[in-house]
Amino acid sequence: MKALVTGASGFLGRHVVRALLARGIEVRAMVRPATRLEGLDWSPCVEVFRADLRTSRDLARALEGVDVLLHLAAVVSGGEDAQFAGTVAGTERLLEAMAASACQRLVLCSTFSVYNYSAISGTLREDSPLHQTPDLYDRDGYTISKWWQERITRRFAEKYGWDLIVLRPGFIWGRDQGYLAALGQQFGRHHLVIGPLTRIPMTHVENCADVFALAAADGRACGQTLNVVDGPGERIWTYLSDYMRGSGNRGWRLPVPYWLAIMMVRLGFATVFRAATKVPSILIPRRFESRLKPLHFENRKLRETLGWTPPLNYQECLVRTYGPAAPTAVGRLYRATLVEAE
Amino acid sequence: MKAALIGAGQIARQHLACLKTLPGVDLVAICDLSPATSEAAADRYGIPAWFTDHRAMLAKVRPDVIHVTTPPTSHFRLALDSIDAGAHVIVEKPVTPTFEELKTLVGRAQDAGLHLVEDHNYLLNHAPQEILRRIKSGEFGAVTHVEVLICLDILGPDGFADPNSPHPALTLAGGAIADFLPHLASLAHLYVGPHRAARTIWTKRKSSPLPYDEFRAVVDAERGTASLGFSASSQPDAFWLRVYGEKMQATTNLFETRLTFDGPRAVPKPLRPLFSGLEEGKTIRRAALTTLLRKFKGPGAYEGLWELLARTYRALADRSALPITASDVLEVNRLVDALKPQEQRP
Repeated sequence: MKALVTGASGFLGRHVVRALLARGIEVRAMVRPATRLEGLDWSPCVEVFRADLRTSRDLARALEGVDVLLHLAAVVSGGEDAQFAGTVAGTERLLEAMAASACQRLVLCSTFSVYNYSAISGTLREDSPLHQTPDLYDRDGYTISKWWQERITRRFAEKYGWDLIVLRPGFIWGRDQGYLAALGQQFGRHHLVIGPLTRIPMTHVENCADVFALAAADGRACGQTLNVVDGPGERIWTYLSDYMRGSGNRGWRLPVPYWLAIMMVRLGFATVFRAATKVPSILIPRRFESRLKPLHFENRKLRETLGWTPPLNYQECLVRTYGPAAPTAVGRLYRATLVEAE
Repeated sequence: MKAALIGAGQIARQHLACLKTLPGVDLVAICDLSPATSEAAADRYGIPAWFTDHRAMLAKVRPDVIHVTTPPTSHFRLALDSIDAGAHVIVEKPVTPTFEELKTLVGRAQDAGLHLVEDHNYLLNHAPQEILRRIKSGEFGAVTHVEVLICLDILGPDGFADPNSPHPALTLAGGAIADFLPHLASLAHLYVGPHRAARTIWTKRKSSPLPYDEFRAVVDAERGTASLGFSASSQPDAFWLRVYGEKMQATTNLFETRLTFDGPRAVPKPLRPLFSGLEEGKTIRRAALTTLLRKFKGPGAYEGLWELLARTYRALADRSALPITASDVLEVNRLVDALKPQEQRP
């Protein structure tokens, strides 16, 4: 089996490449033309394909001989239009190339951001309400582009009869990416902790990568949409403490109840910011909710569909994130997991 | 009046947001090569039809005005097709990669009784218009010289200097800086008129995909002189416009709302610097606040584009003079052409 991974040198992609190899899947890794490969610690058997989804003309060649496409590439920096062009128009070009190839299986990396947190109470599940237009356009550029990316991918899959698996990870964390937007608002070294007991929908990057590799290979995943979290999630206060301990951050933490914070944001929005067109995200109630609303999270569908349990528990994830770097151990862990599974 | 856009990228957002506010303008269609980009723009701005083929759009919706908001290398073909379809055309700057192409477009538009407008948006910002008002009222005196210097870091990896995907502007003579020449040339033209001669210096200070990252020019024009410049290295980002008159001088940063004048004062000469400094300080403090507030609402530094579109549509409806005429576009681009480097670096 051969997999094409887009966004392969990204935070999640580099781990997905290793996880696929650990499952015995051949990997063609698509990276952008100027990407430096030093430090990725990939096996020499990884075939590197250099292309930019926005402009490259030979995307069809990337899909030659590929059995499954894992589409992780997205533009997450720059303005809203740059994100849309990179993420959505780039996906269109990639999927047009896929339509001309023999590849029939596609794993899309979506996100929790497509859910409409404002319309959800209790537990967030795969069938929870998604954003709808035109309200979608009140959200940030990342949410808009990922929502459209998922929409057009489903259309392509339906049109061409592909096996589509949509994976929606929560907050992905790991080495060099320990800080999460769910932690509240940072002021220099100090933190305003909004709803300190709220749980974070989180997945460690190595656990998340394991799900992608499993979904690529396992027939039970076909046609499924699965939320990817390691479990119910740690509480904000707990994880922030671990983050500060692990990263050596020595700032102050000021806890604020969620109900008080959202009330103030709503008041500010109703009185001052409603007429404004450009306001920091944290001051817009709907965006505030999508970062911080206290909901329950679970991975029941993922467990039931694929029989998946996270290879790493929370303590092991903390060590991987904040402990001494040991890149080769990752591969060993996956191999060990595979042997156990067999 | 029926309006449509070709190109749904970054600058299109300003056109769309403005058009939605203009009375008597129906935004009827949008076109982009990317179906999702086109559909999303239509969805977001309540546009009834979206296309991926501009000719199909022109044939089906027969717009009165077309806005061409694509990368500059595509402007000529798209504008020509729009004129041939009977539409007035508002084109983003730079209007065409070459002056010859522009002359063809203007000629074709005039033959068809249509207008071709290039977006010289900064001319219609508040500060340049206030300076112009004082010049016209006589209190400024005749303009002797104008300085325009854009300091803008365009060497970051997300824009013009993207190492993964060559920016379309890099194919223009002068590379990314060519994208800013219409701003420099249109402001010079506004205050000192058509140029007679120009001397330029094109250099490169830093390693990047850009052929040049620094530009300076001295221009001799019919009503005065101008010095124009672009610096990718000088920080912070600013868009300085200084106009020197026989009675008064004006300084503005077009990325902000700062506008100060220094002119005659009814105080003893030794006290002049004190009074000038105090007044300038007060004006700058007030401008700092309004610059912050305008970040929350409205078009910000694009206020001139909104004003340009509003006045253009009014003039089209009334059949009166446009704020930017074909003659302005030709004169400005004759200067742009003179400012371009003689040879493109690899």
